[in-house]
Amino acid sequence: MNQNIFLVHHVKPVKIVRHDKTMKTTPIIGLEVHVELKTKSKMFCGCSADHFHVEANTHTCPVCLGLPGALPVPNKTACEWCVKLGLALGCSINEESFFERKNYFYPDLAKGYQITQLQKPFAVNGKLDIDGHEIRINRAHMEEDTGKSVHVDGSTLLDFNRSGVPLVEIVSEPDLISALEAKKYLNKLQQIIRYIEVSDADIEKGSMRCEPTVNVKIETDSGEVVYTPLAEIKNVASLTGVMNAIDFEIKRQIDQYQSDGVAKNSTNKTTRGWDADKNQTFLQREKEGSADYRYFPEPDIPPITFTKVQVEEIRKTLPELPDQKITKYKSLSLSDYDANLLAQDSVFSSAFEKALNNSANLLNGAIRTALNENQSEIDLNKINATHFQDIFSKKSELSSTAIKQLTLESYNSGTNPLTFAKDNNLFQVSDTGALEQFAKEVIEANPKAIEDYRKNPLAIGFLVGQLMKVSKGSANPQTGKEILEKLLK
Amino acid sequence: MTDLNKLTLKEAREGLLSKKFTAVELTQSCLDRIKSLDKKLNSFVTVTGEDALKQAQSVDINLPLGGIPIAVKDNYLTKDIRTTASSRVLDNYLAQYDATTIKKLKNAGAIIIGKTNLDAWAHGSSTETSDYGPTLNPWNMEHLPGGSSGGSAAAVAADETIISVGSETAGSIRQPASWCGVVGFKPTYGRVSRYGVIAMKSSTDSPGPICKTVDDAANLLEIMSGSDPFDATSIDEPPWKKPELRQNLKGLKIGLPLSYFPPQTQPEVKEAILGAVETLKKLGAEIIELSDVLDPKYSIAVYTILQRSEVSSNLARFDGIRYGHDRSFFGTEAKRRIMLGTYSLSAGYYDAYYLKAQKVRTLICQDFDNQFKKVDAIIGPVSPTTALKIGASEGQSMFGEIQDMLVEPSSIAGLPGISIPCAFDKIGLPIGLQIMAPQKREDLVYQIAKLFEDNTDYHLERPKL
Repeated sequence: MNQNIFLVHHVKPVKIVRHDKTMKTTPIIGLEVHVELKTKSKMFCGCSADHFHVEANTHTCPVCLGLPGALPVPNKTACEWCVKLGLALGCSINEESFFERKNYFYPDLAKGYQITQLQKPFAVNGKLDIDGHEIRINRAHMEEDTGKSVHVDGSTLLDFNRSGVPLVEIVSEPDLISALEAKKYLNKLQQIIRYIEVSDADIEKGSMRCEPTVNVKIETDSGEVVYTPLAEIKNVASLTGVMNAIDFEIKRQIDQYQSDGVAKNSTNKTTRGWDADKNQTFLQREKEGSADYRYFPEPDIPPITFTKVQVEEIRKTLPELPDQKITKYKSLSLSDYDANLLAQDSVFSSAFEKALNNSANLLNGAIRTALNENQSEIDLNKINATHFQDIFSKKSELSSTAIKQLTLESYNSGTNPLTFAKDNNLFQVSDTGALEQFAKEVIEANPKAIEDYRKNPLAIGFLVGQLMKVSKGSANPQTGKEILEKLLK
Repeated sequence: MTDLNKLTLKEAREGLLSKKFTAVELTQSCLDRIKSLDKKLNSFVTVTGEDALKQAQSVDINLPLGGIPIAVKDNYLTKDIRTTASSRVLDNYLAQYDATTIKKLKNAGAIIIGKTNLDAWAHGSSTETSDYGPTLNPWNMEHLPGGSSGGSAAAVAADETIISVGSETAGSIRQPASWCGVVGFKPTYGRVSRYGVIAMKSSTDSPGPICKTVDDAANLLEIMSGSDPFDATSIDEPPWKKPELRQNLKGLKIGLPLSYFPPQTQPEVKEAILGAVETLKKLGAEIIELSDVLDPKYSIAVYTILQRSEVSSNLARFDGIRYGHDRSFFGTEAKRRIMLGTYSLSAGYYDAYYLKAQKVRTLICQDFDNQFKKVDAIIGPVSPTTALKIGASEGQSMFGEIQDMLVEPSSIAGLPGISIPCAFDKIGLPIGLQIMAPQKREDLVYQIAKLFEDNTDYHLERPKL
């Protein structure tokens, strides 16, 4: 970790003293994130992938139960979504990928191995920009979820509904240097995943799960550099939890090093659990370095090819992503704060862009037309943004003609559009009581047209026209039509 | 009619359709044979008996296999019928679903009369490693039937059934067919779905027919084959169809690899193959001696490493939590294979064993590609010897690999092949000729085998029981 990055991120160098030496510490954090894809079916069979609050063992078949003779057939959509996610994270897509078996024993692992990707994952070498700090992404690979062990009264029950649900694992390089940065990374990842609609990425529900791996680089003034032993933290079930767990672990490792002086080596990686109640990590497994999963290519699934053309087809389905939106919003002279906040959520950003669109319509529709007719130049001082906003707020009660009229009034005379609309009776009546009254008048007065309507429902147009006339244009035509139809049933 | 059980598929079909006998009579005749013979022969692990007869009563005989009794190797999952893979681990396991092939056989009207014995988990070439005791060779009960589909081959040879299905990973159809004097047709890898067949070495497992004649085997293969949405490695093609029969073998070049006669080859086996060469020549084939075919001994090493590796992973699901019995029920051979496979996949050994073996596998495939530029098909002995004596495999952890060395290369390359009877040795044990062709060229294998059979009488010989 170089000094510059260190300072950019305003992480205060912690100066601590061991014996007579001064030490500077830099946290080194990598994140493994598992994301459950929201495909209809599971990764290797046709069972529903929905497992949240579903009766145990109801979404299962020979394949996801790992019965003898059953074979996995990869879910095409899941593979494509993994590629899509990879592309959204700036990854390169391997033209040829293959699945591998990761062999280990666990009661909820039906086949005794997990089908995953090691040597040739779908997506590699991506990056995420966190406030100007580039976090490298090693890979986004496709795998399957395991079943669930439920511990009840001293015995363990197995639920295989989750067995075989598609998972994408996104592995960062150990580029993150603080708990806050890790949180921002996860936030951004979550945003992107939700933007491209491949997962709910809900940490509380378990459709997004993160496992930080943490250690600390310690530099003494005499120039000695050591690293504390790696710790992988499991069972973190919230974003706050991730931050707290990382912070706890950083401090614990520095303290530990001060007391025993043990540095990282190839065999002393540990797995630690997170206890959210006690707000501390605890040792789960030692000597993680010696775990051997005996990976080998999955013989049941032939290698999978994504040609350049196919990858470009998938790239085309990517929506505009948060970073692109922020850049765009900033170019519209929005503040950093507003731009970021809007882009955070795809619903908010869509709302904003819709509003922009509406403004464009007012300017191009009403004002430009009028200016063209008068062959005059636009006067920026006469554009009143508050008035525009007022018009949008009542859009559903105004006809398009009325909107044009109000916009022009505002531009030409500075008249408040809502006052003008009220004074000139431009608000459409959607009140059913009032409309029914108008409708009855129309029916009374047009027996011939009613007969026509009974023969040909298209003749309703004439009646709606009459209704508009009777209401002096104030009726909402759609609601009026519905009421007429109801009365004529 | 008596001895309906001795009929071929073709004869049985004709008899049923012309109403000479009924499906119940045909089924009963096979069940009677099993009853009188199988206590000794031990071809079957499970006999369905009443269920089979019930099925035979209502079967539509107009279906392609309507009313035809079939013996199924006990590593095919058969819904609600005990499926053991001849291992006590699955001693009381009732299959939850039908293998794709079983579905096809049932849809075609076949009557499953029982599940046949195999080496436990298909680990072996003798059926001696079965937890339910060895099957004996119908031609001489002091000898082995071969394996792992030994039960299916012996059941066909002993007329306990009309047809049967086996599965081959490297020799498990052809070698027992050779030792039992019947026809074993191993299709191209992926031609027949593996779904529902208990996995042994997934990358070469090939289910296929074992029958009394070449035509019977080809007819059964037609029904078993075809792409399967449940098997990602199945060939994406419609079911295989028997080609037109050739008048002769003129214009065909058939290769005879000199390396397929290793030093331990029994002289009678060599004579038999050379005799077959003469028959094929008379039929018009041009026989080309191949002096540069990769020595099959390399296949033993490749096959052993890849197979043990995959086995160690495939058997992991029998973890003692489900299926009733725990891992102490695994026999010695399975334990040995799991240990060796675990070792060959372990960090630090993977490159030296598994990866190296995969590279040599590629060389073996390339070698066949090169040979098939010179010849259309390749022939040779199936096994260097005729059936060995009971007990021959004991204490021989490499027994299967050595017995199967002449069928391993083509299995590793996923090629189609067949074993047909081509002679008998001095004590009357059958000798098998194997015919191999490029991937997906079952048509060539069939045409050569069929013409050979039509011009010889070996397939008409039956064991005296």
